[in-house]
Amino acid sequence: MRQRAMAARALALFCAALLGPGAAAVAKDSPRREVRDLHYGDVLFQFFQDDYFDAVVRLEAARDFGRLPNHAAEAELLAGGMYLSLGLYSEADRIFNRLLAGSLDRSVADRAFFYLARIGYQRGHYEQAARNLSRIQNPLPGELQPERRLLESNVLMALGRYAEAATALKVWDDESSWAAFARFNLGVALVRSGDSVQGRMLLESVGNQPAVSEEQRSLRDRANLALGFALLQERSGEAAAVALSRVRLDGPFTNRALLGLGWAETDAERPDRALVPWLALRDRPLLDSSVQESLLAVPYAYARLASNGQAAQHYRQAVQSYVRESSRIDESIAAIERGGFLDAILATSPRGGDVGWFWQLKQVPDAPHTRYLYHLLASHEFQEGLKNYRDLRIMQVNLERWQDSLDSFDDMIAARTRASTEREPRKTDMLARTDVETLALREAGLAARVAAIEATRDVPALASGDEARQWQALQDIEQRVTTLPPGGPRETLVDRVRMLRGALSWQMDAQYKRRLQLVKRGLSEVDAQLVEARGRVGLVYEASAQAPLDTGGFAARIAELRTRIARIGPGIDAATRAQEGTLATLAVRELTAQKKRLASYATQAQFALASIYDGAAAKVTP
Amino acid sequence: MIRRYITAALRSVNILIALLILAIWAGLALAAEPALEVKGVDQDVQSLKKELVDLNKDLFKLEEELLYPASTQVAVFLSVDVGTFFALDSVTLKVDDKEVTNYLYTEREVQALHRGGVQRLYLGNLKAGEHELVALFTGKGPHERDYRRGTTLRVDKGVGASYIELKISDRLASLQPEFVVKVWE
Repeated sequence: MRQRAMAARALALFCAALLGPGAAAVAKDSPRREVRDLHYGDVLFQFFQDDYFDAVVRLEAARDFGRLPNHAAEAELLAGGMYLSLGLYSEADRIFNRLLAGSLDRSVADRAFFYLARIGYQRGHYEQAARNLSRIQNPLPGELQPERRLLESNVLMALGRYAEAATALKVWDDESSWAAFARFNLGVALVRSGDSVQGRMLLESVGNQPAVSEEQRSLRDRANLALGFALLQERSGEAAAVALSRVRLDGPFTNRALLGLGWAETDAERPDRALVPWLALRDRPLLDSSVQESLLAVPYAYARLASNGQAAQHYRQAVQSYVRESSRIDESIAAIERGGFLDAILATSPRGGDVGWFWQLKQVPDAPHTRYLYHLLASHEFQEGLKNYRDLRIMQVNLERWQDSLDSFDDMIAARTRASTEREPRKTDMLARTDVETLALREAGLAARVAAIEATRDVPALASGDEARQWQALQDIEQRVTTLPPGGPRETLVDRVRMLRGALSWQMDAQYKRRLQLVKRGLSEVDAQLVEARGRVGLVYEASAQAPLDTGGFAARIAELRTRIARIGPGIDAATRAQEGTLATLAVRELTAQKKRLASYATQAQFALASIYDGAAAKVTP
Repeated sequence: MIRRYITAALRSVNILIALLILAIWAGLALAAEPALEVKGVDQDVQSLKKELVDLNKDLFKLEEELLYPASTQVAVFLSVDVGTFFALDSVTLKVDDKEVTNYLYTEREVQALHRGGVQRLYLGNLKAGEHELVALFTGKGPHERDYRRGTTLRVDKGVGASYIELKISDRLASLQPEFVVKVWE
């Protein structure tokens, strides 16, 4: 759990670091990075909520749409980090390698090498991990540096180079929790490799370190337990008892520590003191193998103390308990073989729809399927498999959801096609009746005429209807007057016509400027309306050109996506079954081993019981 | 006679201790984070996951293009720039006096906004032309007081997609929050 929490934090830091000088976008208290593409911010919004699947989908879509022009490099780095967080090692590996093939800032390259090394280690490619670690040139920032040290020591240990791992850790002057974890790892590795003196020294230092957090207390317990059993293996009971006594009485390692403490006391020839932890242990739930073993240990201690009566009584109880537990294990095996046990396990974990590498089962449910699987469920191998299974189930739901959406999309396309078909005749008719260009020509003619009127100040041209009629009438009268014989009446008429014309001219002239403005305004309005009409007709043509194409294009895309769903779906189902099968096999194997162990304990108890009876019988035999 | 039984018992004790040590050390090995052994199923799951990411990407694109064509698309984003004077609870968005979204924020979402995330608050369609967009922000203002503030924007929707950002920032001069609307080109 500790490792995963650290890994999760490290990923966030890593991505933060990769985001360049403003990496700080990830670190809450640091100055924020300016988002220059809104859709990149949208990706970050999902990313910061640890919803890596949705974030990476949005990121890839935004890249396809060309919406991340200002964050291309960061987006690639972020994608690599998120693929890694989703357990897509190959994809993450490909991205980091592609980035490293380009020109990268040294500090970014160092981080990319670090994460490539991490992927290599997780996948068991230790040599490759070591090579990538050696390519890091400068210290990594923040928590990445101690994690790099830890990774280095882990890689060296995995390669069996314990002495080098020890040297690497010795130069580690950091007293962070990473250092303690690394010392613990190395201590365990050294003891296992046979260098128990060095190993015990390291475990001793971790086992005595002050602890303020639950994580530190747990690590300290673990170190003391490891140390205690290392000493017990060397038959140093006294020292083992000291180490095991340091393990908390309410932690996850209590049962094993109590059992070990009893054996340590026995080893130190103090069977009476061994009874104290063992009797405490036997009152605990029998699911735990340490508790099961204590049933055998308690009568053994009584026998060592020559309390054969009590020993015999406890052995009898032990046999009964073992038989009972064995039959419950049979129930568990049957429940697992009926199937669905992984779903039962997952049903107990908090709800959450994220596919994620950092998800893990926090609580082991007490159900027939899982009652005896505590250690198996806590194992790395099982957790990885369970996580895969969970991801596969989420993937199934995801596909089902899209399947429903595609059905809706189909309906939508059909409706659009229908509407388009119904619209078509009306549209054709409307377009046939709309001749914007003729109107435009007329408007241009009018504009030219107005320009000519203005240029020549043709005042009568802008006369009102009455004025124009009067003007025309005056012209007619003038014409007729000229045909009259010269003389008094003709001159009188000429004067009158001139006077009337003058009055009308004056009247029209007074209105000319206003009328010219009105005409020009009208023309400009017509002009604007013509532009709008042209635009609308253009949109109609554009829409009519696109509509059939779009619906057809979408229909083809939907068909293609449906084919992909149909292909992936069975693959996911098959992988789900395979994963469940693998884990069920592991579980049944574990339970069978537990049954064998219980049978062995029962046999030993029966043997010891028989021996006690035998001894008692021999005593009374003269 | 007893000694014989004890010797026999001790023999079994040795076996027990050995078994116990093996079991304990096997358990402790977990702490050393054993490398992930890449198995067939795991490889299959990896490749399926990648296919699923690609599929989801294509479906995501299809959905957007189908439901929100670029010619009518309008997307409203929300961001928080510093935002020390305002703790966001909810945002109501109205377009042309019609409520299109009313979003309540979780603590996790608020944190994501503070860290630089930008939320796509609304994605919809609008015809070309003038529209009025009103955003109402509710939350806690300075001195933990209930705070409600609206901001209005008149948008002239063109033929392409429109992106509008609602930004909550700090106005240091008055120690008050500020709600800015920005139209992205």
